[in-house]
Amino acid sequence: MESQLTTSVLVPLAFLLPILGAVLVVPLTRESPRARGVMLGVCVAATAGIAVSFVPGVLDGTVYETYLLQLTPRIWMYLRVDALGALFGLTASVLWLLALVYSLGYMADEHRQSRYYAFFMLCLAWTMGVAYAGNLLTFLIFYELFSILTYPLVVHEETPDAMAAGTKYIIYILIGGSLVLLAVVFTFFLAGDQTLTTAGILDAGMDHTSLLVIFWCFVAGFGVKAAIMPLHGWVPDAHPAAPAPFSATLSGIMVAAGCFGIMRAVFNVFGVELLAELDVMRWLAYLAAITVVVAALLAVNQDNLKRRLAYSTISQMGYVTLGVALLGEEATAGALVHVANHAFMKGTLFLCAGLLIKQVGLRNVSQLAGIARRMPVTMAAFAVAALGMIGTPPLAGFVSKWYLGLGMLDVDQPLYLAVLLGGALLAAIYLLPIVYAAYFKEPAPLAERSERTGREAPLTMLVPLVVAAALTVVLGAAAAVPGMPLSLARLAAQVVFGG
Amino acid sequence: MEEFAHAGFSPIPALMVLVPLVGALLMRPLGKRSELARDIAAVAISGSVVALAAALVPLVEEYHRVTCYLPGLLGRMHFTVDSFGMLFALFTSFVWFCSTLYSTGYMKHEHARDRYQTVSLVVLAANIGVVLAGDLVTLYLFFEALGLVAYLLVVHTETDEAKKASIKYFWMTVLGGFALVGGILITYALGSTGAIGPIPLEGGSEALRWTAFVLLVAGFGVKAGMLPVHVWLPDAHPVAPSPASALLSGVMIKAGAYGIFRVVEALFRPTLSEELAEEAWHLTSQFGLVILWIGVATMFIGVVLALGQHNAKRMLAYHSVSQMGFILAGIGAAGYLGAHGAMGVAGGLYHVVNHALFKACLFLGVGAVFFRTGELDMYKLGGLWKRMPMTFVFTAIAAAGITGVPLFNGFVSKCLIHHAIVEAWELHGLASLGVAEKIYIVTCGGTACSFIKLIGFVFLGKAKQEYGPEVKDPPVAMLAGMGLLAAFIIALGLRPQILIDGIFTPGLHAWALHPDILQEYLHEYFLSPGDLMSVVIAFAIGFTVFFTGIRFGLFHLHPPKWFGVDYWYRRTAHGFLGFTRVLDRAYGAYLSHASRGLRWLRVNYRAESERLERQWRRFVVTISTGAPGPRNQHFIQRAYVLLERERQATVRYAVTTVVRWLRDHPSFGEERRQPLIDAARDIATYMAGRLQKERMGVLSDMVRTGEIDVVRSAFESVVADLTEFRQPVAHTAIELAERRMAGENVLREISAAMNRIVSDERFDLRLREAAPRQYMIGSAAHLGQTARQALPTPATLRAYQAQGLSRLERAAKWSTDIARLVVETMTQERVSWFMEDRLDAASVALTRRGIQRYARDMSFNIAVIVLVLLAFLLAVAVGNA
Repeated sequence: MESQLTTSVLVPLAFLLPILGAVLVVPLTRESPRARGVMLGVCVAATAGIAVSFVPGVLDGTVYETYLLQLTPRIWMYLRVDALGALFGLTASVLWLLALVYSLGYMADEHRQSRYYAFFMLCLAWTMGVAYAGNLLTFLIFYELFSILTYPLVVHEETPDAMAAGTKYIIYILIGGSLVLLAVVFTFFLAGDQTLTTAGILDAGMDHTSLLVIFWCFVAGFGVKAAIMPLHGWVPDAHPAAPAPFSATLSGIMVAAGCFGIMRAVFNVFGVELLAELDVMRWLAYLAAITVVVAALLAVNQDNLKRRLAYSTISQMGYVTLGVALLGEEATAGALVHVANHAFMKGTLFLCAGLLIKQVGLRNVSQLAGIARRMPVTMAAFAVAALGMIGTPPLAGFVSKWYLGLGMLDVDQPLYLAVLLGGALLAAIYLLPIVYAAYFKEPAPLAERSERTGREAPLTMLVPLVVAAALTVVLGAAAAVPGMPLSLARLAAQVVFGG
Repeated sequence: MEEFAHAGFSPIPALMVLVPLVGALLMRPLGKRSELARDIAAVAISGSVVALAAALVPLVEEYHRVTCYLPGLLGRMHFTVDSFGMLFALFTSFVWFCSTLYSTGYMKHEHARDRYQTVSLVVLAANIGVVLAGDLVTLYLFFEALGLVAYLLVVHTETDEAKKASIKYFWMTVLGGFALVGGILITYALGSTGAIGPIPLEGGSEALRWTAFVLLVAGFGVKAGMLPVHVWLPDAHPVAPSPASALLSGVMIKAGAYGIFRVVEALFRPTLSEELAEEAWHLTSQFGLVILWIGVATMFIGVVLALGQHNAKRMLAYHSVSQMGFILAGIGAAGYLGAHGAMGVAGGLYHVVNHALFKACLFLGVGAVFFRTGELDMYKLGGLWKRMPMTFVFTAIAAAGITGVPLFNGFVSKCLIHHAIVEAWELHGLASLGVAEKIYIVTCGGTACSFIKLIGFVFLGKAKQEYGPEVKDPPVAMLAGMGLLAAFIIALGLRPQILIDGIFTPGLHAWALHPDILQEYLHEYFLSPGDLMSVVIAFAIGFTVFFTGIRFGLFHLHPPKWFGVDYWYRRTAHGFLGFTRVLDRAYGAYLSHASRGLRWLRVNYRAESERLERQWRRFVVTISTGAPGPRNQHFIQRAYVLLERERQATVRYAVTTVVRWLRDHPSFGEERRQPLIDAARDIATYMAGRLQKERMGVLSDMVRTGEIDVVRSAFESVVADLTEFRQPVAHTAIELAERRMAGENVLREISAAMNRIVSDERFDLRLREAAPRQYMIGSAAHLGQTARQALPTPATLRAYQAQGLSRLERAAKWSTDIARLVVETMTQERVSWFMEDRLDAASVALTRRGIQRYARDMSFNIAVIVLVLLAFLLAVAVGNA
């Protein structure tokens, strides 16, 4: 498909608006929290609006771009919205909007709210920058900002656990970040500053050893964020420690950003043909397959709900990496659409976990018996998202698993089907007992008598939750409608594979 | 889909799915207002589905295939109705209607009636969706929905038993779903377009085909209660409310049979052409043989297990397993026979319909008994035919149907399947199929025995308990439900042409199978003596088993637990969960070890780096000063502190002495006292400093020359003795203070006194004397001596010159010696660098020492840097040259 370039001022706005929001947080906090809430909502909604507005154009083959800033005569900060970026930006901004609205309720009686909101907005800004980055250097800048400035959100609660998790997070992320930096510098050295296009920056004429080094640096660097199995250590600690709305974005977007980075490296830095020639992707596929299965196995016995969900995230992101690693069009489409689908499904689950903590003070799976009687809407949303996670049609998870499965067969690797289905089965094993306990187990008499007679949450938290759950249904049942993530994912995969 | 050119379009299939779905939404709001309104609506909606299904009949007759689609999921959800799909839709909706009618009465005993009706309608929609689906994705969608939503029917009563059964049901369903989606994905890989039609033979390997087949059959088989994945069925069907049991056993498991039927007869078959070589059917007949044997095993084991049951509903559930075996055997035989499998298809599907009717009716009948008596144990009932005559009649009709009594529907289908198996046997003369035929007859006998038991124990015979007045026929709605079913059981038994001519013949024709044989059956075999004879044999076996069983109590025998697959599934599941726990613990242990390891590493790293730093400093010290090693260094440091204390003590002593002298001499002018003290202190300070310097010099000299051991051992005691020299210092200070006060230069006198003291003291001698005598033996001492003798002095230097060495050699020697001398002077001089005594205590001394050391290290570092720079400059210079 011929792409046409269009310069658009909206592109930088997508990340400047959240920054503006972050700047305004502090003065407005003194004025009134209400005004602050409205302002934040408007900023994020506008960002999401911008992200949505790109979709029709991108589907028609337009690529929006902006040269932002000249760093040196040779290096520009350059933003570019292609199908891949548009998909990620869309997912991120919409999930952020939900998480923000939820935060307004969730964070109402927490300490240091202005810090939370400021960094929450900044985080969105950097994410949008990552999504729309047009060359490696811009990508790197936003990626590092986004990785490091997330720290205050991870440690927000400032409990010893949170601080320890934060330390773990920052160490992992810094190591990953430096590997990415190394890879970027090396790439720059080999190929200079180039736009991230589908042709790939590197070519087969270059020294193969260097290419391999770059590849593994990219994979290891982004792999830390994407939680590929030996590098996943920060995920199960950071998620339970962070406040619930941020856990949702952490799981749905942050970890996915690692996968997004791998996709950029695979499709735009190396290019599919070069990687096929290097024959490294199957190792990545093995790693991803191990991640899917082992993380899911570990999730089965986690009692802390958010920790269990965190392991689930590791497992699900393994699917995405696996889809990319298979180097097939269908598999890539499946991986891409799974980023979006997973964001909303896991977002829903984390928002539910947040409500359980906030309303009834329960953090552990073993305490959830009979909870659905008190919080029917919350647990219904949980059930929908859990079923979606497993890949039950017509929910979102089914669509991504379907395309991943087709992709696996498309590239003649039917054995990965076992990984795909095994992961889904394990997802059923670690998620559905929660639903069962919530609906059908008798609540422990002690819990019934205790002070925590929480009920359904106020609407500020319930509405985003229900919207996220509804999106889980819509993303599956109406997956084929143009403009849905599936269309973007298929377009992106098509572009990458030169269809 | 080009193969099916004559497809008609009609929205009816989509409507059949949407109507109950929308209707389900109404149940809750209606039920809140009025139960009656809700029940009427539920019956009306299921009735309208029957009407819609009936409306399909003329359409299918005209077009053979009716299609439509709904937008959604991965694009379009297709619906395609052919004769067989229509058949399934017809009986599904009909049985559903009867069951819903029945439930309006029955459910008065149960809670959550709104939920029941809602769920029931959703499951109806899903079930219709399964049998009308036009592509595999749609089929999967509805199949999953059917399985998962029906969970709510199984668990409906929420008793512990129901929950336990529901959990098993649920996991089996989920596993089946995964197998199914895997199989469907592989069919895509084999080249299928997703349509329910033949998969092209070219694509994919044989292994992949078998995998797809196994996965699909397993996926559908779980629902169908196929052996060995039937284990959920006997638990789940009895615990549901009776109308739901009727649906589960009568209709829903048929969705599984439908799937297997489509797998064998639609997916894995050659293209739709009647003139095909035998080889084209090769794979189909292999698959068919597998299914046939699974069917035979299922029917036999099902019936054996059924004979051991007390609970009537549980027995019926085992019969569902067994009857599904009949159906599978029919379908399998059809597959085995390939193009000539019409008899098998007809038998299997006829039995599907029949089983739906009579099993639903049986469950409803037993449910009615439970409704009135609250008892399900067959051995505790009896004699109910008088109390519940209508129920008895309907149940007996259904029992006649299931046992294959002629003129009831089961007779027709069982004979058809029997013929199909015999045909399969005769095709290639496989001896094993002969065995299968025998098993078939025996199974029919077992079935007969079971229902003799059911009817005999529950309705006939003597009552085992006193029945209250409430034990009578159930309400009309329930009787109507059963009656409708019973009517059709008889109708299909009397007029098999309804299905055979109306549905099977055109349907088989559309799928390019030869339907002529069915006509042959109708005309020559239906109610023929041969078929009647086999029924008689079956009943003979049945009665024999029944009486033997009663006589010897065989029905109460139970095999050990490990005999059933269920036990092994449980073991596997628990083993798996145990494995995840082990993994989790192992991972936890790994994490804690890793963090402990990291901590260990950090601690060790710190210790190691400190050690290295110390060594580096020692190295620097040695290089820069040639000074003694760290042991000596430490000693000298301590010695310095001691001597410094001694120096301060000496000065203090002198001042004290002066003050005391002044007290003794009150005549001494008041205004001159302070200056006197100051002068005395100056002198004492100077002298004590000199003394200390001398002593330090002696000490470091000895240390450097290797007499360290000597010095170390004796030093403390020697220093303690040094106090005697405070006296002369103080004395000299008092003596000379007045003169100094007057402004005289007393340096000469001081020096004289110093010389005196030093010569009195002989610090080095004192040290040597105090030391133990063995120092000369010490090799270190010896070495030190040698080294000292080897040291070049100015004299030796001159000697070099005299030797006439070259200028360069001389310079080298000279610079070495100079360096040595410089270092020597530095180390000796440095001892006396800081002489203030204003701050006291060892800390000051140590600080000084530290500063000295730091300065030395720094100077060394700078020297290294300078050297590197020089080397660099040199390199540059060389490079440029």
